[in-house]
Amino acid sequence: MVLDDLGSSLRGTLDTLQGKSRLSEDDVEEIVKEIQRSLLSADVDVSLVMELSDAIETRALEEEPPGGTTARDHVLKIVYEELVDLVGDSTELPLESQTILLAGLQGSGKTTSAAKMAWWFSKKGLRPAVIQTDTFRPGAYDQAKQMCERAEVEFYGDPDGEDPVQIARDGLEATADADVHIVDTAGRHALEDDLIAEIEAIETAVDPDRSLLVLDAAIGQGAKEQARQFERSIGIEGVVITKLDGTAKGGGALTAVNETDSSIAFLGTGETVQDIERFEPSGFISRLLGMGDLKQLSERVERAMAETGGEDEDWDPEDLLEGSFTLKDMQKQMETMNKMGPLDQVMDMIPGMGGGMMDQLPDDAMDVTQNRMRDFEVAMDSMTDEELENPRIIGQSRVERIVRGSGIEEETVRELLEQHKMMERTISQFQGMGDGDMQRMMKKLEQGGGGGGLGGMMGGGKGPFG
Amino acid sequence: MFDGLKDKLNDFRKDVEETTEKDSDAAADASDATATDAATGTPAADDAADAAATVDATSGPAEESDTDASAADESDPSTFQRAKAFATGRVIIEEEDLEDPLWNLEMALLESDVEMSVAEEILDTVRETMLGETRKQVETTGELVEEALHDALLDVIAVGQFDFEERIAEADKPVTIVFTGVNGVGKTTSIAKLSEWLADRGYSSVLANGDTYRAGANEQIREHADRLDRKLISHEQGGDPAAVIYDGLEYAKANDVDVVLGDTAGRLHTSDDLMSQLEKIDRVVDPDLTLFVDEAVAGQDAVTRAEEFNEAAEIDGTILTKADADSSGGAAISIAYVTGKPILFLGTGQGYDDIERFDPERLVDRLLGADET
Repeated sequence: MVLDDLGSSLRGTLDTLQGKSRLSEDDVEEIVKEIQRSLLSADVDVSLVMELSDAIETRALEEEPPGGTTARDHVLKIVYEELVDLVGDSTELPLESQTILLAGLQGSGKTTSAAKMAWWFSKKGLRPAVIQTDTFRPGAYDQAKQMCERAEVEFYGDPDGEDPVQIARDGLEATADADVHIVDTAGRHALEDDLIAEIEAIETAVDPDRSLLVLDAAIGQGAKEQARQFERSIGIEGVVITKLDGTAKGGGALTAVNETDSSIAFLGTGETVQDIERFEPSGFISRLLGMGDLKQLSERVERAMAETGGEDEDWDPEDLLEGSFTLKDMQKQMETMNKMGPLDQVMDMIPGMGGGMMDQLPDDAMDVTQNRMRDFEVAMDSMTDEELENPRIIGQSRVERIVRGSGIEEETVRELLEQHKMMERTISQFQGMGDGDMQRMMKKLEQGGGGGGLGGMMGGGKGPFG
Repeated sequence: MFDGLKDKLNDFRKDVEETTEKDSDAAADASDATATDAATGTPAADDAADAAATVDATSGPAEESDTDASAADESDPSTFQRAKAFATGRVIIEEEDLEDPLWNLEMALLESDVEMSVAEEILDTVRETMLGETRKQVETTGELVEEALHDALLDVIAVGQFDFEERIAEADKPVTIVFTGVNGVGKTTSIAKLSEWLADRGYSSVLANGDTYRAGANEQIREHADRLDRKLISHEQGGDPAAVIYDGLEYAKANDVDVVLGDTAGRLHTSDDLMSQLEKIDRVVDPDLTLFVDEAVAGQDAVTRAEEFNEAAEIDGTILTKADADSSGGAAISIAYVTGKPILFLGTGQGYDDIERFDPERLVDRLLGADET
């Protein structure tokens, strides 16, 4: 993800400031160098990096840290503000009728992004249509058509057409019923004058509400020139960064945003049509700097709770702190966790858990935990309602039945029961506690989690959020 | 491609010349120059520095006093040391002389998309070569820098070069070539171009579509095959890629075709499943050549993916596409360096003939301005 490395290397440098109340020039120089390195290896434009680091350096040296703030927090705040300032808000996309034109280099992922964006709009209750005007690349029509079928959205294209401008016009007419028109174009680069003229003609014909530049996350310093040219010819209102599921950092997109004075609209993170995200700047940079993203976390929890709770109304998370904690509660919690998204993403949003702490965990810790949770779920699916409500009745013969029924190893089933017992114990300790004891609660959870591994910690950690 | 880097390398050469060729008069003149600058504004300062640099490059050490104005650059190291060197009739290149120019060189390389660790490698080589060198009266600093840069760059770019055409000519037919790379870099287009390149040299080829994954992949390569009048072996979408390429090989054997060009689905090197599929293709098909395709506009990440692909299915060389886009081409330098395998071809446009052999010597010469093309 963009600037991931900045997160970890910056945290390393900042840690050396721990306990200091004043910054020396050397400290600042060291930090600025680290920032430069990270940004440069993330493909951010060299002159932009220098501008940014100069600003950070000046502010760090000149501004007095407000009373009571440590030097470390002070620097962190400056870096945060400068980065937020650079990235800006995500591109405004009103949920209303509109026409969007996509432009970009060959192979940057325009066609895939078009289908993904159409899917995104359709989930927001709008009726999108994709219009494919790439008459040049063999297979473009078929690719767009197939992607739109997968996204279950309307598609217009003309495999025999030769004039992209005409296709664009016909397409708008043919899909007049749709709310959102997404016009895909053939790939082109800034130096292909005839193709630049062509996209200008398409732009005039479709008169889009916004034109988005689609950029491969791996693009290097060339991003600047490309962005400048597209900005000049059709005007760029937003940037879509694709292939962020690779190792590329996407710094080229920052350059493009800076160059076109626009913002980031979407992130592409995989090959299926659902792999698209809106860009959330402040939360994103908070996460990057290890400050947690509570806003997004609470949104996710709410959404997940709504989804889980909606299906089963007799379950009330409040019960947890009053009545007994059953396997059913645990099942619900795990279900909610799953709906919140991949565990590592969720972890990253919890203050104090993301950033530095995540770096210390082995790479596969999250996968292991996730697999374990999946096993637990499967085992629970093989239990009767009675067993779920009252796990104590599960003896040897019932365990054997569950093992046979679920195909999960006996050891795992026993771990599940053990885990439940531990969580039950922890929860019972919280009952009657006030909000002020939150910190103690978290501490207890961490200790309690020690025995059951991460799975335990996460399972228990969910309690407070429920 | 590479024009930006060329300019910057020239700047580096001038930088070093400036910082090493100032004599004791510099100090006095510098204050003059600064005074003038203050009066006329910065553009004048730039002009002065430029003019001095030009003089430097053309006139050489005999007229060192001409270069005084270049001292307007205030970041210069102590003039006293240089005065001492001048007094002994030699110019010693010291660490502090190189510091600023090397920093500028590093930035120039990064601006050209050379990956950071590779850029550092180049810097180290240049630093080692130049440090403590005493410039003899007979040669200019420019020559010395040029030599050091030439060696450092060539070291990095010219790895394991081989004659691709000769390799095809000598190999037992049919020759199987598999193309790998991430999504959207231009694998299929490169295959079509290479098929045409081979035909121009009298070799027949068959295309095998191992991309059974991407929407529209079959249609895309079929269109190329039809236009070029080549046989295409393809299976249904979702089929086994290794089997398709294997069928291509069988077809080539039965029909006396010289080369099998096997396409694969673009994949990101972070997708474990797809990368192990690539390993399987490599094992089952056991191609004579595996060519990694990447785009010239790629930035720092080019190194990571080249490494990962090389690990999954060892590559024999690289095709760099989209070299006609306004790219600085640092990716070429980085990829060659980390894989230890040569860049074989450049894709330079959307036509079938837009493919060129990559020649590292010529590139380095061009970068350093020896060749005016």
